[in-house]
Amino acid sequence: MRRQIFNAIVVALFGVIFAGIVCAYDERQFLRPLAEFYVTQTPLELGLPNIVTGILITWRGFDTLGEVAVLFMVAASVGLLLRPAPAPTGQLLARPPARSSGEIVETGAATLLPLIFLFGAYVIANGHLSAGGGFQGGAIVASGVVLLLLARPLTTLPLGALAITESLAGVLYVSLGLLGVFFAGGFLDSRFLPAGEFGAFVSAGAIPAISILLGVKVGAELSVIVDRFRA
Amino acid sequence: MDFPVSHLALAVGFGLVLIGLWGLLSHRNILRIIISFSLVDTGIHIVLVATGYVTGATAPILDDTMGPGEAALNAVDPIPSALVVTAIVIGFSVTAIMLAYAIRLYKAKGTLSIDAFTESKW
Amino acid sequence: MVSVLFHPLNIYILGLGGGFLIPLLYRLAKSRLPLVFFFALAGIAVVSGVSFIEVLSGAPAIEVLTAGTAPPVSISLRLGVVEGFFAFSVNVVSLLGAIHLWPRLREHYGAMLLYLIGVMGINGMVMTRDLFNLFVFLEIVSIATYGLLGLAGTARSLAAAFKYIVATVIASTFFLLATALLYFTTGTLNIDALASLPEPPAGPIATTALILLLAALLVELKPFPANGWGIDVYETAPGGIAAFVSVGVSAGVFFALYKLLPLFAPWLDLIAFSGGLTFVASNLLGLRQVRVQRMLGYSSVGQMGLLTLALALLEKNGAVPAIPLVVGGLFLNHLLAKAGLFWLADLVGRQSTAGWSPVARRRVLVASFAALVVAISGLPPFPGFFAKWELVMQLSAAGYGWTIAAVLVGSLLEAAYMFRWLGRSLHARTDETLTVTGPLQVAPVAGAILLLLAGGGLAAFLAAPFSLWIFAPLAAGAALALVERLLHPSGRVKAALALLSVAVIGPWLLPGVYGIAWLFGALFIGGGLVVGLGALYRAEPRPYYYPLLAVTLLSMPALTGAMTGLEFLVCWEFVTLGSYFLIAHGGRTGSQTLRYLLFSLAAAFLLLAGFGQIYGVSGTVDLGVLRMLDADANLAFVLLAAGCLVKAGVLGVHVWVPGTYALADDDLTALLSAVISKVAIFGLLSITYLAIRSQSGLDLAHLLAWIGFATTLICAGLALFQDNVKRMLAYSSVSQIGYIVAAIALMSHIGWVTALYLVASHLLVKGVLFLAVAGVILRTGAGNFSSLGGLAGRMPWTFAASVIALIAMAGLPPLAGFGSKWLLIGTMMDREWYALAAVGFLATFAGFLYMARFAYGLFLRDRGAAYAQVAEAPAALVVPQALLVAGILVLSFYPKLLMEPLSLAIDPYFAASLIWEGRSLEQIYDALNPLPVMSMAVVISLALFGLAVLVYRRCAPARDETGGTSPISGFLMFFKGVLGRVNVPGFSALWDGLAGLTLWLAGNVRLLYSGNGQTYALYVLVYTIALYFAA
Repeated sequence: MRRQIFNAIVVALFGVIFAGIVCAYDERQFLRPLAEFYVTQTPLELGLPNIVTGILITWRGFDTLGEVAVLFMVAASVGLLLRPAPAPTGQLLARPPARSSGEIVETGAATLLPLIFLFGAYVIANGHLSAGGGFQGGAIVASGVVLLLLARPLTTLPLGALAITESLAGVLYVSLGLLGVFFAGGFLDSRFLPAGEFGAFVSAGAIPAISILLGVKVGAELSVIVDRFRA
Repeated sequence: MDFPVSHLALAVGFGLVLIGLWGLLSHRNILRIIISFSLVDTGIHIVLVATGYVTGATAPILDDTMGPGEAALNAVDPIPSALVVTAIVIGFSVTAIMLAYAIRLYKAKGTLSIDAFTESKW
Repeated sequence: MVSVLFHPLNIYILGLGGGFLIPLLYRLAKSRLPLVFFFALAGIAVVSGVSFIEVLSGAPAIEVLTAGTAPPVSISLRLGVVEGFFAFSVNVVSLLGAIHLWPRLREHYGAMLLYLIGVMGINGMVMTRDLFNLFVFLEIVSIATYGLLGLAGTARSLAAAFKYIVATVIASTFFLLATALLYFTTGTLNIDALASLPEPPAGPIATTALILLLAALLVELKPFPANGWGIDVYETAPGGIAAFVSVGVSAGVFFALYKLLPLFAPWLDLIAFSGGLTFVASNLLGLRQVRVQRMLGYSSVGQMGLLTLALALLEKNGAVPAIPLVVGGLFLNHLLAKAGLFWLADLVGRQSTAGWSPVARRRVLVASFAALVVAISGLPPFPGFFAKWELVMQLSAAGYGWTIAAVLVGSLLEAAYMFRWLGRSLHARTDETLTVTGPLQVAPVAGAILLLLAGGGLAAFLAAPFSLWIFAPLAAGAALALVERLLHPSGRVKAALALLSVAVIGPWLLPGVYGIAWLFGALFIGGGLVVGLGALYRAEPRPYYYPLLAVTLLSMPALTGAMTGLEFLVCWEFVTLGSYFLIAHGGRTGSQTLRYLLFSLAAAFLLLAGFGQIYGVSGTVDLGVLRMLDADANLAFVLLAAGCLVKAGVLGVHVWVPGTYALADDDLTALLSAVISKVAIFGLLSITYLAIRSQSGLDLAHLLAWIGFATTLICAGLALFQDNVKRMLAYSSVSQIGYIVAAIALMSHIGWVTALYLVASHLLVKGVLFLAVAGVILRTGAGNFSSLGGLAGRMPWTFAASVIALIAMAGLPPLAGFGSKWLLIGTMMDREWYALAAVGFLATFAGFLYMARFAYGLFLRDRGAAYAQVAEAPAALVVPQALLVAGILVLSFYPKLLMEPLSLAIDPYFAASLIWEGRSLEQIYDALNPLPVMSMAVVISLALFGLAVLVYRRCAPARDETGGTSPISGFLMFFKGVLGRVNVPGFSALWDGLAGLTLWLAGNVRLLYSGNGQTYALYVLVYTIALYFAA
């Protein structure tokens, strides 16, 4: 009980700190110079209408690369943590047979899965034009995989292929970044390919290519991570 | 209605953070603690997005209704939106690792109470 | 082309490219995995190294732009000198760590890629100039850590890792929130832009953001008390991983703090306080630890606290030029020494500090262990020492007295538990052996030590470019060790070589030294050689004893040749460490060695603080300033004098002496008492000038005289009642040191001549007596009065030498010329310090008694046929005794031989002093004829003795049935009983009580660390709140 009171005090004090912020907060009426630069110059310099994607993939591409690394490491960490213990032989069959997941889920999955994957691919591929991008699309694809695993618990994912895919996508990503060093302004500069026609599907330099790599990588990684938790 | 929308979002975000903090201090179950962390994370993400709002503005994507010329006046700050994508991914990553640890801890001791894991001390 | 190949960007390409490749290789070409992994890791180290050298040689900092656009639009990284230093040192250690960890990393390719990308992440934390990018790299490093912590797989380590995750996730959440809010208020994420805003971010939102950011960074550095989660991880993770967390991850976070420090300008004091509290508290708690890695964990968080404190205070006081030496030195020292210790812990594989003694069977391991412990305790020749020196100087100049005290107390505590652990492991106590470790396994540890040595040289060069000669004793020792390693000479050859090196190199260490310093230098070399000859009587190999002996003996003349406080202290520490290892080498001293070391270190820290005070008032560390300092320097004098007195072992702090002298090797005891103890006297003489200049200083001198005579009296009394011969001589030694201290305290020419005379006489006399005892113990195998006796006829030469030495010590005719203590007492009476003089008479009486007991108990008392077969001591012991006796005789009959150089040595210093009246020394000595005082002393002593015998006859119970006890011991036993009830002061109990109190405190404070992850999360939050409201 004393503990709870103490916890309450701590949370209340954080409430005081946060309340101070909320009270002092004043909504912005206009963009600051940096944001304005992004908003006005991204379409001109990178040739894409989705400014957030431009920031993510080019201007702050280094962050994104780091973020990809984080996901990649999580996949490795989870694999490391949940690696099957060297169990004595014969215990492999100990896992009880999975229950059927029910007709609704199974049928729903059969109906929805193609749509989900399609939608994911769309979001990945159109990241430079409208809301979306590699991460978002990759997450949608992975959620499809989750649905698949829920509907058919006995499905085995092609883990080897997925691992190779995620690795390859990562290596290619770094290589694309390097192309920026040699053919454009610097590492991760997407402008080594022509900007193309503003708003067209094939445009905005290497951004769509990077976006697709990201989507593939994220989709594969998230699927692998989810799959590891089944073990 | 002159209560700015981002103000509300900010307050909600911080509210979620506080709920998360309370949860992580008062729940013994490791899974609940992990959920609390997710709440804190989500709260912070909302705060992040809220601080990028500009009165009356819209998403920073050029289209037929917002040409390059109007963007400077009509778009919200795109940076927090970009940052939040990264932050979400990192939040997800941490949750995944914590869950993996939860599984290992449960396998090791057969319990998920955080009070059971105090062998190292003093 | 080269610049492209070694551009810092390649660090990230190697890290990520290599990391992404690893799973691919795992599936497709497993055999290439190690190649790619080590290529990438080594590549990162090489790239950072080349870039570091480039910027070091004057090139401008390398800016790495991403996306081909300048910041703040895109993220930029920078590698300047500071970044290069941190990145390069972390990368090299990471490479060594990978070699060490290879057996574990090999198990799972995931571990490899986590390690690789984690190292890259640390580089990113160091180099990035973007706040949010810093967050991303922080997360990269964190995730790598989380993953790697899963390697151990025990329930304990998993639980610890989970606590670690909980705490660090809270911290990084605050970091993210702070980043968002800072961007909201300032409109930029670029660190340079943030730091150079026209006005610092203000307003409640910005302030909250900055404090949250600060809290996040400090929490990641594991501040007390919100650090239990970190310590648990250090305890339970595999040593290699713990090293990675302790030095690598912390380095990245620390650098982030350094980078962002301009933003935290208003709270530097707060940061320093948190760091200082962490340093002291962690080291206090370290005292109670028995598990090796947990102890190292406490030491780790303590060191990070010290780094934080140093950084914040130097920044606050504008001592930015000192930052490379202080912060760089402390950082490098901790990086290498702690990593080395964690790796060693892995190799040894014993969890309990008490179980490490098998390490003694592997010479490489025990040598590495010793070197690392010396380094982590911040002692020379390692960089931490020079960094601490400079830190104390800077703090003194800025007037941070309490902070210095905290730093020194924390350091002493750390040394206490580190050396306790080391001391228990220097001798194998069980039959256990370690599982064999091959050269490759030891290579990372050895590499760390070599780098530490290089770093030490570099730090010394930065601290004092012209003082590198002070490493000469070490170089000589290293050369001797090499000879020993390669040629395996016999024990006596090694001893001869060591003495030869002292004879050859010693004089070379004294150029340009004159006066008292020269005299002491000559005394140290000559005394060391003659008394050191005694070592030749031992035939056993004594592995690596003689190189240590050479270091110790050479460091003493080097000490007299010191021109600056730094040189002085380095040599002082060399003497301390050298003698510590010599004493420990014998293997019988047990916990005495720790006592010896701790008192010696306390003395050294007092000196350090004293030199700091002098630097504070005068701005220089040149020892010459001691003689002409105008400013008020009483505090400096008190500190320096206290340091010397502790080292000299005066009353109250004498408790380390008897045990150490009694249990050390017999030939070593002779050196300790006759020669090495004079180091403290030399120190005292060098600093007393400070006291002459003011009235309060002279009052302090009066106090000093009292301390000296109290020591003389009480230790003479204690000597009387010892049964162990060496213990008795030890007390006698302390008692004689008391005379010397009192003589110095006279602050006059006559006093100083007397002091120097006493130094010489004590050297000669104690050299003879301890060597005589060494011979007796060798021949009879006994070392107690209760079992010895009747050796006069068996060992005539030893007997003769001892008698001459005793007469000289007593100052009786015909060696009265030696009785400078009569002059001392006479001078006291002249000054009307009658109480002191009376104490002097009393002490003389006690001295007569124990000297008589020595002669009687060892040589004259009838033991029948007990020792009939005993032969004279070997020549190796008799010859040095004869040489010393010759010295005694020469000095007695031709005192001018010593007087004149003494007088000359002192004159220049006292040329302007009031006390020296321009008379020649002989005139003074004539005026103060010792004979009346001496006769008075003899008469008083006889009277007292008669009185005592009378009392004994009247009051002692009849004890004829105990036929075995001699009349003398019966007599003494009786008075021990009488006096014991009155005043045998329990000094040992006092110090034991202090130690007990410290342990009790540590035992209570550590209850904070309940082990519960949720409690730790609470601490982190409370720490944040406390920081917020304190700011």
